[in-house]
Amino acid sequence: MIAVMIEQLLRDRPGMTARIQSGGRGVIPVMLAVIAVSMIVVGAALGSYRGGVQIAYAAIKLPMVLIGTALLSAPALTAIGTALGRPSKLRTDFALVIAALAFGALLLVSCTPLILVGRALEVPYHRFILAVVAMFAIAGLASLRMIVRGSGQSWSGADSRPAGSTAAVGGLCVVFALVCGQLAWALRPYLVRPRAEVEFLRPVEGSLVDSIAQALDSARGIYRRERAPLPAEE
Amino acid sequence: MPFPARLVLVTCAPVALGGIVALRTASAGPLAAVPAIVFGVVAATAPALYIASAAAGSAPPLGTMVRALGTALGAFGVALAGLVLPAAFLALTSIATTTTLVVTTGALAAAVGLALWRLHDELGRPQLAIFGTWALATCALGGRLWWEVVS
Repeated sequence: MIAVMIEQLLRDRPGMTARIQSGGRGVIPVMLAVIAVSMIVVGAALGSYRGGVQIAYAAIKLPMVLIGTALLSAPALTAIGTALGRPSKLRTDFALVIAALAFGALLLVSCTPLILVGRALEVPYHRFILAVVAMFAIAGLASLRMIVRGSGQSWSGADSRPAGSTAAVGGLCVVFALVCGQLAWALRPYLVRPRAEVEFLRPVEGSLVDSIAQALDSARGIYRRERAPLPAEE
Repeated sequence: MPFPARLVLVTCAPVALGGIVALRTASAGPLAAVPAIVFGVVAATAPALYIASAAAGSAPPLGTMVRALGTALGAFGVALAGLVLPAAFLALTSIATTTTLVVTTGALAAAVGLALWRLHDELGRPQLAIFGTWALATCALGGRLWWEVVS
């Protein structure tokens, strides 16, 4: 049954969405297991860039990012839909979000050989980061696409879709991207610089948005500190 | 969703949003101020919508208008309840107070937008000039009071 569901997720996503809409018995536990196993594999591959205990740290944290995103985003999908007059379907919405994230997780597992090749070729840290960000962006967009299409199916037919449904799904995409980005940011690091100390979590330094604003300032030559601290000084 | 559940959500969701602001500002004021703004602004501006629509000859019966406002207020509560959780997460994992301001304002604006959309549908597509002017005035009044709270 597990293999059948995974194959349906990879080959027939409209069918998987229809299965979820019709009750989707057993979908949530299977998809949670897919996310957990997939992200443990991806996390371990990312952690191998630094090696040692970082392999375990990244393998523990990455599944938390995706499952946490589902827990925080799915109620928003239900709430926005209900506010626009759709019947309240929290369980179905959660199943849809978790299935979409499982699809993204499977895409990331398929990228694991590339991560390992990068590690084997000792690709420089910043290039490695950019490559990983690109992989996660592709997987994230694929997950969002599945949510958008699945949400479209959840309104009771194309003819009866209320006028605000597109805006609602757009709003959900914003929530999903913000929550996933911030959760991934809060639980970093996954990759660790070769000379940096390994730590499970970094202290709270601000949000992803704060960091992007700081990076933009730095790119314009506006620095908020004299110099970057060395590991022993942090 | 049953009416009592909507009533609970429309009462509790603004309190929860005020709670996020209260946590970051270390002041209990927003806990009461946010629901007061929501109910106060609706109470102050809703009669104007009925009067203007009736005067223009396009108002639905009073009962329909009251039901539509109740449905829209319920939609506001449900939408805000769904957005409070991600908003709390985003605000509380950031050290910048500006992030809290942006996130809570965004959640409130989204819930208000959905409620206005729902009200527009429930009223059977009212005259755009009247409804649009009323919506703008309501948002401006609510936005001004919200700014007083968060600033």
